Amino acid sequence: MPAVDYGRAEEITRTLERRLVERLQSNVTATRRSVLGGIGVAGSAAFGVSRSGASSGGHDDHDGHGGHGVVGEFEDADFDPHEYLTAFNTGRDGQENVRQDVYEEDGRTVREFELAAVDVPITIAPGIEFDAWAFNGQVPGPTLRVVEGDLIRVKFSNGSRHAHTIHPHLRNLDPTMDGVPQNGPGALAPGESFTYEWIAQPAGMHFYHCHAMPLKEHIHRGLYGTIIVDPDPDRVRENPRDYVNYHGPITDEYRDELVEVARSRNHEYAENDDVNEMVMMMNGFDTNFDGDNEVYAANTQAFAYGVGSTDGNGNWEAGETKRPIQIDRNQLQRVYLSNVIEFDPINSFHTHSQFFDYYDHGTTLQPTLKNVDTIMQCQAQRGILEIDYSDHEPGLYMFHAHQSEFAELGWMSFFEVV
Amino acid sequence: MTDKISSESTDGGVATDERSVRPFGLPSWVVAVLPLVLLALVIGAFVLTSPLAGVQGGEPLPDLTITHTTLPSEDTIVLHVTNNGPDAVTISQVLINDAYWNFEVEGAGGDQTLAPMESAQVVVPYHWQPGWDIHTALVVSDGTTFGHTIVAPSETPGLTTDVLWSLALIGVFVGVIPVALGMLWFPFIRAMSNRWLHAVLTFATGVLAFLAIDAGFEAFELVEEIPGAYEGTALVVLGILGTFLLVQSVSAWREGRAATGDARASSGLWVAYLVALGIGLHNLAEGLAIGSSFALGRVSLGAFLVIGFMLHNVTEGPAVVAPVARDTRPAWYHFAALGLIAGAPVILGGWIGGLAYSPTLGAFFLAIGVGAILQVNWEIAGMIRTQGGRVGSATNLLAFLVGLGVMYVTDLFVVL
Repeated sequence: MPAVDYGRAEEITRTLERRLVERLQSNVTATRRSVLGGIGVAGSAAFGVSRSGASSGGHDDHDGHGGHGVVGEFEDADFDPHEYLTAFNTGRDGQENVRQDVYEEDGRTVREFELAAVDVPITIAPGIEFDAWAFNGQVPGPTLRVVEGDLIRVKFSNGSRHAHTIHPHLRNLDPTMDGVPQNGPGALAPGESFTYEWIAQPAGMHFYHCHAMPLKEHIHRGLYGTIIVDPDPDRVRENPRDYVNYHGPITDEYRDELVEVARSRNHEYAENDDVNEMVMMMNGFDTNFDGDNEVYAANTQAFAYGVGSTDGNGNWEAGETKRPIQIDRNQLQRVYLSNVIEFDPINSFHTHSQFFDYYDHGTTLQPTLKNVDTIMQCQAQRGILEIDYSDHEPGLYMFHAHQSEFAELGWMSFFEVV
Repeated sequence: MTDKISSESTDGGVATDERSVRPFGLPSWVVAVLPLVLLALVIGAFVLTSPLAGVQGGEPLPDLTITHTTLPSEDTIVLHVTNNGPDAVTISQVLINDAYWNFEVEGAGGDQTLAPMESAQVVVPYHWQPGWDIHTALVVSDGTTFGHTIVAPSETPGLTTDVLWSLALIGVFVGVIPVALGMLWFPFIRAMSNRWLHAVLTFATGVLAFLAIDAGFEAFELVEEIPGAYEGTALVVLGILGTFLLVQSVSAWREGRAATGDARASSGLWVAYLVALGIGLHNLAEGLAIGSSFALGRVSLGAFLVIGFMLHNVTEGPAVVAPVARDTRPAWYHFAALGLIAGAPVILGGWIGGLAYSPTLGAFFLAIGVGAILQVNWEIAGMIRTQGGRVGSATNLLAFLVGLGVMYVTDLFVVL
């Protein structure tokens, strides 16, 4: 056998690779340029294929099989899924379209929010409008962020042509505040209003939704939103057992550790600033009344966290509405995730090249699932994910529902680690 | 007495002999009734003794049809149902968009059970949203479901004087006015040579043939919505044949009168009236379609639709007046009457359709129109022949084709 010069082989391989990449890239540029020049004649299938090719940013798709993804840009000025990720309404500050206040009352912190149900068309995919019923005109509704033990006061007014309620997924001790048609004020007719009051408990990742009948319609039309109840570190120190699935002795060290996690979760503590927190509601839309969703997404807009025209290093073209979620690899990523899908029994969340810790319902300070890359949720299930990219190379990392159907119908997203 | 009977009978029929007049020595009416009496006896015995009781295999399946739906307000859905099966059916539950919903059954004698061939309304208090499809299903006592989807629902206008007035106005525009305008071609047709007059007449038969074909297919399409118990296909065939035979018998009676020297009966005016009647019956069905679409909230009465109908119906005018082209000009009131008979039924049909639409009624009226038109074509062909023309001449065949073509093209403008 002749001797093999491994060093030389490696060099040759690398040269070949480089040449291939250059060829492909020049091909891509040529195709893209000619296509963009010819877009005026559009309307053809070629338009769709080449545009989606362009939208995947010259990384792939030019192998003659067409590209996957929606065509065109989102033109919904009222809702930006990228802004929604981190739009927390705490009573102290939050979104412009949510009137809110925070004050003390009977020794308790009250966080007051005004929510109004309205009928409004929303954009769920480029060029596709959906007649939604929405809290404050957005789907998902505004994210409410409170601290364990606070009083949540929601002044609800119904500006829709249908009757609605707000039902909280909280440990609420007053049946009249349950927000179902059979209790308290019942379903609120158009023009009516009511003030719901709930104690913020337990700490965790919760949500609210309309519970008027028919429930399927009222949920899938968009009447839902996230409530995050931050754990109170003082309470954690006093009652650590309430926050763990652990029956052994609680040492002082362990107690401190739990308090530390609580401080990191609580938006009123400085430790919380070290973490990048995002809210994602996995939802879907039935546009043709067949009882099956045509569009799936995390946060309403199909492929809004897709690759777009980014170069993978945090640079995308101005005006790109489809773009990955850019994250700093040195920060811990915390996703407040819930599933509000209708018509399908479950939904899921899967990260590529990554394993994460999962806190089901967010009610524990120790993960309920450690080191997994896929979790599933039924409707109304939710949880907190903590993802660490500190040892990953910069670049694009996909995450999506691992029901391939959902992924290809819009619930496919990317983190761009920089 | 016997002699008289055998020589001549009063009804002009063939004489009979005494043996068949008094069979078995019984009066003839007894003989006529006897089989019926025996049949009644056998049926009575069968019911009382039920000899096939042990042979019974299984039960007939429940069979309900939701013939149509109305949406009187945004929080009510009304399903019109008919029981087609041989057994009573109980509507136990109602599903709206795959969710159980409360409901009331009206018109079934106070309960939720429909006897065979009984119809009722299922009234559902459901706040639907205009434009969003509603999937409905009736769950009967054995768990069988009968579904119906209301596509892009919108509120049913209901029958107010406003609606009646609107339908009348539409009728005038799409029925009376175009036919009247078409009749203004009368002097022009009169001045024509026989050859061209016959061409106009065959053109008219082409127009009518198209209407018959179009309406015939529509009637058979509607059959699918007719509750099975009413035997929709047979009903449509009966409507076509029955009307044809009725109009034909009127025509035969007229010919008999003409043969005995009645000058009025031999005039072209008769044919003109028959044509007007045929077109009128057809327009009645057309009006029914407009009225029911209106009642179901399924029609946009845009200018496009009305103009389409006007273009479509203007060709019916010359068809009506062509038969009188060779007569002395009839009095003006004949023209008015012809125009009204041909055009005004659109209004009547619109009202009937708006007031009491059902697919059964719709298909039956369409069938009547088809039968009348077929007979009228027969009549026109006969008229050309008596005037010494040849129906199958090249000019006439082409004119017939043009009639079909013109109607096809103008039909494209009418989308109901």
